[in-house]
Amino acid sequence: MNHNRKPGLARLWVLAALLALVAAACGGDEAEEPATTAAPGTTQATADAEEEPASPEEPMEPLRIAVVAPSASNDLAFTQSIVDAVNVIAAENPGTEVAITDGTFIVEDAAAAIRGYADEGYDLVLAHGSQYGGSLEEIAGDFPDTAFAWGTSTDTLGQPNVSAYNAASEQGGYVMGRMAAVLSDSKVIGVVGPIEVGDAKLFVDGFANGAMEQDGVTVNINYIGSFSDVALASEAAQAHIASGADVLTGSAQMVVGAVGVAQANDVLWFGTQANQTSLAPDLVVASQVYKWEIVLRDIIADISAGSLGGKAYEIDLANGGLAIEYNDGYPLPAEARTIADAAIAGIIDGSIHPLEQMFVEEPEPMEPLRIAIVAPSASNDLAFTQSIVDAVNVIAAENPGTEVAITDGTFIVEDAAAAIRGYADEGYDLVLAHGSQYGGSLEEIAGDFPDTAFAWGTSADTLGQPNVSAYNAASDQGGYVMGVVAAELTQSGVIGVVGPIEVGDAKLFVDGFASGARNQGDVTVNINYIGSFSDVALASEAAQAHIASGADVLTGSAQMVVGAVGVAQANDVLWFGTQANQTSLAPDLVVGSQVYKWEVVLRDIIADISAGSLGGKAYEIDLANGGLVIEPNDGYPLPADVIALAAATINGIIDGSINTGAN
Amino acid sequence: MTSPGSAGRRSRLANQLLSYSVPVLAVLGALAIGAVMLAMLGANPFSGFWAMAKGAFGSSGALVETALKSTPLLLVGVGITIAFRANVINIGGEGQMVSGALATTVIALGMTDVPSWIALPLALLAGLVGGAIWGAIPGALKAYFGVNEILSTIMLNVVAVQAMNFLLRAPLIDPKEIERGTRIPQTARLPESTDLPLFVENGRLHIGPFIGVLAAVLVYMLLWRTTSGYRLRAVGQSGDAARYSGMSVERNVVWALTLSGAMAGLAGAILVLGSEGHRMVTDGSTIGFTGSAGFNGIVTALFGGLHPLWTIPSSFLFGGLLVGAIALQRAAQVPTALVLALNGLVVLFVVSLDRYRRQLKEREERSASAIAIDQEGDDGSPPPSGKDLEDG
Amino acid sequence: MADIFTSAVIVATLSSGIRLAVPLLLASVGEAFGQRSGVLNLGVDGIMLLGAFGGYYTTLKTQSPWMGLAAGLAIGMALGLLSSVISVSLLAEQGISGIGVYLFGLGMSDLLFQRLVGTPLPVKSFPKVPIPGLSEIPVLGDLFFNHSLPIYLAFLAVPVSTLIINRTRFGMNIRAVGENPEAADSQGVSVVKVRYAAVTIGGLMAGAAGAVLAVGLGIFQQNLTNAQGFIAIALVYFGAWRPLGVMAGALVYGMVSAVVLLLKTRGIIPLGASDLAAMIPAIITVLALVFAARRFRAPTALTKPFMRGG
Repeated sequence: MNHNRKPGLARLWVLAALLALVAAACGGDEAEEPATTAAPGTTQATADAEEEPASPEEPMEPLRIAVVAPSASNDLAFTQSIVDAVNVIAAENPGTEVAITDGTFIVEDAAAAIRGYADEGYDLVLAHGSQYGGSLEEIAGDFPDTAFAWGTSTDTLGQPNVSAYNAASEQGGYVMGRMAAVLSDSKVIGVVGPIEVGDAKLFVDGFANGAMEQDGVTVNINYIGSFSDVALASEAAQAHIASGADVLTGSAQMVVGAVGVAQANDVLWFGTQANQTSLAPDLVVASQVYKWEIVLRDIIADISAGSLGGKAYEIDLANGGLAIEYNDGYPLPAEARTIADAAIAGIIDGSIHPLEQMFVEEPEPMEPLRIAIVAPSASNDLAFTQSIVDAVNVIAAENPGTEVAITDGTFIVEDAAAAIRGYADEGYDLVLAHGSQYGGSLEEIAGDFPDTAFAWGTSADTLGQPNVSAYNAASDQGGYVMGVVAAELTQSGVIGVVGPIEVGDAKLFVDGFASGARNQGDVTVNINYIGSFSDVALASEAAQAHIASGADVLTGSAQMVVGAVGVAQANDVLWFGTQANQTSLAPDLVVGSQVYKWEVVLRDIIADISAGSLGGKAYEIDLANGGLVIEPNDGYPLPADVIALAAATINGIIDGSINTGAN
Repeated sequence: MTSPGSAGRRSRLANQLLSYSVPVLAVLGALAIGAVMLAMLGANPFSGFWAMAKGAFGSSGALVETALKSTPLLLVGVGITIAFRANVINIGGEGQMVSGALATTVIALGMTDVPSWIALPLALLAGLVGGAIWGAIPGALKAYFGVNEILSTIMLNVVAVQAMNFLLRAPLIDPKEIERGTRIPQTARLPESTDLPLFVENGRLHIGPFIGVLAAVLVYMLLWRTTSGYRLRAVGQSGDAARYSGMSVERNVVWALTLSGAMAGLAGAILVLGSEGHRMVTDGSTIGFTGSAGFNGIVTALFGGLHPLWTIPSSFLFGGLLVGAIALQRAAQVPTALVLALNGLVVLFVVSLDRYRRQLKEREERSASAIAIDQEGDDGSPPPSGKDLEDG
Repeated sequence: MADIFTSAVIVATLSSGIRLAVPLLLASVGEAFGQRSGVLNLGVDGIMLLGAFGGYYTTLKTQSPWMGLAAGLAIGMALGLLSSVISVSLLAEQGISGIGVYLFGLGMSDLLFQRLVGTPLPVKSFPKVPIPGLSEIPVLGDLFFNHSLPIYLAFLAVPVSTLIINRTRFGMNIRAVGENPEAADSQGVSVVKVRYAAVTIGGLMAGAAGAVLAVGLGIFQQNLTNAQGFIAIALVYFGAWRPLGVMAGALVYGMVSAVVLLLKTRGIIPLGASDLAAMIPAIITVLALVFAARRFRAPTALTKPFMRGG
C-alpha cells in the first residue's frame, strides 16, 4: 500500500500545480533556487543556447529535467534505470534540477504530469514509458519550446522537439541466455515476462535465443499479462520451478517477487534493467544494467546546441549504455564467463545477431482492443461473472495491448445500462453486456452507438442490431453429461438440484442435468429453485433439505451455490459444478465441473470486429467447439467405466445422437 | 414576511448559509475517507474524483443522467417528508416502489392501441395507487392493530419482491422469452404510448424529473396550505393534543403512510416507464430494481432538511453523487463495491453532522422570532427537524 | 409424499430451521438491547456483513473458527461503538444513520473480500458438539443436542439476556433510559453510558451473528446475509422487545423457511409457485403480530435522542 501511496502523493503535487521547488524536493534532489515565475525556464534555455553552443566535453548548462515514469522510483527495474541515469547526469552537472513523477501507470495521469512539467518550464521532460507516446504526440505540439524524450521507442512521433530512446536489451539477454544454458543442470530455464511488448519482449527473445544456442535446453516463457502483479509473477516463478527450471530470469518491475521465489528455492536468477543483486545476494548471477545516461548526455548536448529533438537514440553493449554487471557474491565458473565475454565481443563486432535465430511465430496478431465488461455479480463469484472475466483475461493475455475494464456487481439493470453507455461513450471497442437481463437496455443503447461493438449474453438474440453479437452457453450439454454420471454414482437413487430462479443458462443446465440423470437410470431428481441468485444461506439449507430427503449427489447453478457446495462437503455428498471450476470449494467431493470458456466465442467476435463487422451474429459455446469443457477433479477417483460412459455421452452429444431434452 | 431588523437579518442569513453548508461539508468529509480508500486500492483519488465530478455534472449528458437518477430519490424523499411530519417512519419505500412499478406495468401492458394522452396518465396513476396501497397496509396495521410500521414495512418489502418475481416469471413475462426458452424475467417492451415523452428527440431526458419536481411542490402545498396537511402535522407533533382537539390520529397515520407510499409508487412507475429498456426486469432482488432508492430517498429527505422543496436540490446532489460514483469506478477500475461503501459513508457523515445544522437552524429561528413573529416561518426554508412545526 | 413424515426428514427440517434461525436470533436479541435503551439501530445487516467477512477471513488465515468468531465479535463491537457515537453522542436521526452503516457494510465487506481473498476458498466450520447422554435421545437428541457450540450459545443468550434485562441493575437502567431518559437522568443514571453499552452489545451480537453465519457456511460471498439484518430488526418488534419473544419470532421465521424449502424440494410446492412460497415467512410473521401486537408497547423513548436539558 505504501508503494501505492507514494505515486499518489507525487501526482497530488502535480495536480495542485505547485511550483518547481516542491516538485524537485519530491524528486529527492537538492534543488537550486528555481525561477518561480512560470515562463523563464524555457526561454532562458534557448537564449543561453544561442549565445554559447556547448560541446559535450564541457560542463553543460544547468538544466531542469523532469521524469514521468510508470512504476516506483525504487522498482529495481524500468523506472529506477532512468531515475539513476538522471541522477548521474545531475551529479555530473551541478545545478541540474531534477523532478520525478513516478508510479503514473495511468496514462492520463502521466499526460497530465508531462503537460504540467512542460508548463512549469522544465527544459527536458522524459516520458519514460512506451504507453505515453499517444499523449506525448499531443503535448509536444503544444509546447514547441520544450524538449521531450520518449522511451523506450525508436519513433520521434514526427515532432521536432521529441527525441526517442531505446535499449537493445536483446543483446544482454542473449549473453545471459548463453550463461544460463551453461549453468543449468536440469537444462530447463524459466522466463517471467510482463506483456509481450517493448524492451521486455526484446530481452526475453534475446535470452531465449542465447539459451537455445546450446542443444537440449528448454526455455519456458511465461508472460503474466501485467507489469505490476508481483504475486502473479511469483506464482509464475513457482510454476517454472515446478516444471523443473533451475535458472530463472524475468523483465519489468513485477519480477521482484519472482527473485524472492528464486532465492527461497535456491534457483539462479538473471536480472535486467537494473542491478538486482540485492534481491538475492547469493543467487543472482548477473544483471543487464541500463545506463541511460549515455543517451541522456547526447540528448542534453543536442538541446544545448539548440536542437530539441527529432533524433532516435539507443543504448547497447557497444556504446556502453548496456552493461553486464556480475554479482561478486556468486562464484561464476570460468567457463561461463568465457562464453559470456565471447558473446559480448561477437555482438559488438557484429558477428552475432541476438534476434536472428528467433523463428517468428506471431499467431495472427490482432489489433489491440479496449474491452469492457458489465456483469451482475462479483468478478470472483466462481460462477457466471467469473466465467466472462476469466475469458477476457485470456484474450488480453493472447493479445498484448488489450485494455480491459470491468464493472461488476451491477445487478441493478439501470446502473448496468449507465455503465454500458459510459463505456461506449468512452470509446471502448467491445462492450460485453454479460447478463440476460441487460437486453432491454442494450437494445436502446446499441442504437445510439452504431460504431461500437456490443456483445450480449447469455442470449441467442442480437436484438436486431447490426452492432450487437449474442453469445450463449449450451449448458444443458454439460448438464446432461454430468446428470448421466450422477445417476451412475448415486447409491440412494436420489439427486438434488439447487437452482436460483428458473431462467437462462441456469434453467438449461438444470433441465439437461435432470434429463441426463433420468434417462440413465431409475433415479429421483429433486429440483429446488430457491428464488434468489444471492442467498447463500438459503441455498445451503436447500442442499440440506435435499440431503434430508435422501439425496447423495448434488448439483446447482449460479453464484449462491458456494454455500451448498460446503454442505455437500460437510455431509460427504458428491457435487457437480457448473459455470466455473468449483473443485476448490470441496476438493474431495466435487466430481467435475462444466466450465464456460467464453474465449472461444470472444475470439470469433473480435476477429469479426477486426474484419469490420461489429455484430449481428449469434454465437454459442458448446461441447463441440470447446467452449464448454467438463473439467474432472483429479482428487476424486472416478471409476474407469464411468469415465468411459461420460466420454461416450460427450461424443453422443457432439455427433447429435443424444438429445439433451432441454427446451 | 414582516421585516426584521437589519442586524437580525444579517445574523440570520449567516446562520442560514452555515446551516446549508453543513451537509455539503459532511459530503466532503465522506469523500475524504473515500479518497484514502481509493489510494489504498491503488487508484488516484484526484483523477477519480475528477472523473466523478465530470461524470455527474461535467456535460449535458452527465447532467441528464444525474437528473434521471435523482427522480426516484426525489419522489421517495418527498414521501418521506410527509411521513416524518406525521411522526411515522416509512422504511418501506423499496417495497412501495416495486408495487407501484408492478401496477404501472400491468396497466401499461394493457394500453396497446390507446392514445398516449390516456395511456400515460393512467399508467402513472397506477403506480401512484400501487404504492399507496403498499403504504396504506402498514398504516392500517399500525393504526388499528398496533403492528409497528418498521416490522410491517420490512416484511412487506419481502412480499413485494417475491410478488415481482412471481409476476415477471409467469403471468407478465414477455411471450418471446417463453418462445425462445430463455425465460428472462422481464415483460415485453411496453407500448410506446406509455413512454415518458422526451425533451429532445433521441435524447435521454424524459419528463420524469419534472413530475418529481411537480410532486414536491404539490406536497409542499398540501402540507402547509391545506387543512388536511395541517392535521397531519398536528398529529405528528402531538398525538394526544390532536386527539383532544377532535382529530383522528388513526386516520391521519394511515393517510400519511398512504401518501408516502404513493410517492414511492410513482417513483417506481417512472423507473419502469423511463427505463432504458422500457420494461420491468428483475434479477430476483429488490434493489436490483430500485437501486436502493427506497433507502437513499430517506437520506435525500434528511439532506433536504425534511422539507419537500429543499428535497429537490438535495436529490439532484445525491443523484449526482451516485452517477458520479459509477463514472469513478469506470475511470479508476476499482471494484464496484466501493460505490456502495462511499454511499454509506456519505449517509453516515450527513446524518452525524445533522445536529449542527439543526442547532444553527434553531439559533436562526430564535433570532428571527425575537424580532418579528413570522406568520409562515417555514415556507422555503428547511425546518429544524421532523418534530417541529409552526401553525400559521 | 408420505415419507415426509419420517423422523429423519422431520429432524433434518427442524434442524435446518434452527440453523436459519440462529443468526437472526443473535442479531435480534442484540438489537433488543439497543431498542430497550431507546436506540433503533437499522445498521444490523451492515454490521453482520462486516462481522461475517471478518470471521471468514480470520478463519481462513488462522484455520480456527473460534478465532473467526472472536474477530466477528470484535468487529461487531467496534461497529456497535461507532453506531453509538453517531446515535447517542451526535444525536443522529436513528432511522437513517443505520442505513448508512448498512450500505457501508454491504460495500466494504465485498471490497475487502475481493481485495484480500479473491477467489472464494472454503474454511473450516464449527465442529458439532453432541451433548453426552442427551444427544442419544431418539429424535429430540438429534434435534436439540447435536449442534455446534455457537448454536447452543445463541440459545443460551436468550435466558441470559432476559435475566440481564429484568433482574440486574444494568438491565433496570437500560429499561429506565428507554422509557423515560429524563427521569433516569435525574436519578443519576448516565443515559449516555447506558445507551452506549446497550448499542455496543447489539453490535457485538450482530457481529457474532455474521461470523456464525459465514463460518457456519464455511464460505463468504458478497451480500452474504441477504438482508437478514432487516428481518432481525423486524423480529425485535415481533418479540415485543423480550428475548424470549424474539427467539419465538426467529424460530417461526426459520422453521417456516425450512418447511417451505422441504416442500419445494419434494415438489409438493410446484416450481412455478416457488416465489409465492418465499413470501410465506414474511406474511406469517406479520399476521402473527396482528393478533398479538395490542398487548405490547414499544419503549417510549425509542428513536428519540437524549440531550440533557434539551
